[in-house]
Amino acid sequence: MVSINVKNVGLVYRLRQKISLARKTPAVQHTGGRVSAAGGRKTVIALEDLSFSLEAGDRLGLVGSNGAGKTTLLKVLYGIYEPTMGKVEMKGRVDALFNISLGFRKEATGRRNIVLRGLINGWSLDQINDRMDAIIEFSELGDFIDLPFKTYSQGMAARLAFSVATSLEPEILLMDEWIGAGDARFQEKAKRRMEEIAEKAGIIVLASHNHGLLKRTCNKILELDKGRLKAFLPVESWEETG
Amino acid sequence: MIKAIGDAFSDIRSGFRLRRVWLALAREDIDDQHRRTRLGPLWLLVNYLAFASIFIFLFHRGDTSQESYAAYAATGLLVWLFISEILIQANTLFLREENFIKGTTLPISVYVLRLTMQSVIRAAYAVVGCAVILLVSGAVPTPIWLFSALALLLILLAAPATIIIFAFLGAYFPDSQFIVTNVMRLGMFLTPVFWMYSGQGGFRMAFYHWNPFTYFLEIFRIPITENMVPVQSFLICGAVVLALWLLALVLLGRYRKQVVFVL
Repeated sequence: MVSINVKNVGLVYRLRQKISLARKTPAVQHTGGRVSAAGGRKTVIALEDLSFSLEAGDRLGLVGSNGAGKTTLLKVLYGIYEPTMGKVEMKGRVDALFNISLGFRKEATGRRNIVLRGLINGWSLDQINDRMDAIIEFSELGDFIDLPFKTYSQGMAARLAFSVATSLEPEILLMDEWIGAGDARFQEKAKRRMEEIAEKAGIIVLASHNHGLLKRTCNKILELDKGRLKAFLPVESWEETG
Repeated sequence: MIKAIGDAFSDIRSGFRLRRVWLALAREDIDDQHRRTRLGPLWLLVNYLAFASIFIFLFHRGDTSQESYAAYAATGLLVWLFISEILIQANTLFLREENFIKGTTLPISVYVLRLTMQSVIRAAYAVVGCAVILLVSGAVPTPIWLFSALALLLILLAAPATIIIFAFLGAYFPDSQFIVTNVMRLGMFLTPVFWMYSGQGGFRMAFYHWNPFTYFLEIFRIPITENMVPVQSFLICGAVVLALWLLALVLLGRYRKQVVFVL
């Protein structure tokens, strides 16, 4: 049974002054949260004392202003950031849809890029081969699939990235904004694909500023404010307050 | 420290499980660099041969008192180029992989092994070039040469540890990339890659004895050029490799999840 259990999670990191011969500037771009300076040390409190749990069937919408910690929380759930306090327990395979065009190589063919992206996603060669035809078909690239990625138009590249990224059967799906690609007709198809994935996934966590989308897709809402949990409530209650 | 080393091992284990990723990416990296050229990666062989030949010609200049000079320079250059590439490339590794580190959960060792593999592929072409020079210069293989093969394995074993150390150094101390590049540029002349040390004192003695690179060059070179096993150099290199790995494991274990915050 898939589940997410977040207990008293905090993420605090030091703004390291990089050892440098240049004039001192903070080494890190702020990912959100609050900056505090104590004892000459600058730290970022990106997340503070977050606790919530989700079970199979839950669709959580993450809301909050820019810098509230939505992406940071997604990255903590995915395992890119290790929380400095508390505990995250994820039961189920976690897939994330952020930065879907990461790792595409312009000199390699579309087909080769599917293999590379699949490997990066942790798929086996058999899984990649099984999914290959469906990915190519969905991307509508036709014969272009055997040409170098650099010959693709922006729309074609986006269609390929979308097709590979969404060719999965996630148990837990993390998304930073709902993704789409291509022209109006493909957008429609992409929307249906996203809805299918969302239906299949055991749990979804979706960060978005699109309240209409969140109301349509989610059953729970978690609101963050400067890294703190401001509200965690059913979507109906959120609609009433919002 | 024990926990850090345990974490480092688990990162490396996951890295090996994902070997298809770094093997594929390393191959793509090499192919990309030569994609439009007619000779393709054979340029790596041509580069090595051209470099070695010019230096052999310049330094040797028909001096018949040193018959094995071509072998001396070819073997030294092979090891030097490998070490130098590893150090310079490692220094900017995490900066180059920033998008991956911030966007995927791939273990850090995947990036380390990707660079190791790239360097091994490049070195393989240089090994062919080195073999050609040895053949042309009339060197005759003996069983002692097996120690040179062992030396290559030891150097290869040092590579991932060195990459880990220099990659963290580059991430936390970005200015180090210019320092490392310059040190390696000078290092080629301060290390007995092309010049021979014959027991004189002064600076040459210091650059010869107090230079760790010397011993890594010698463990590969001496079995070939002098048909003997440089036991002391092997011991020094073994100790250096152990120390490198110990430091690398501690750094990897402690900072593998922190490095994302400094990129």
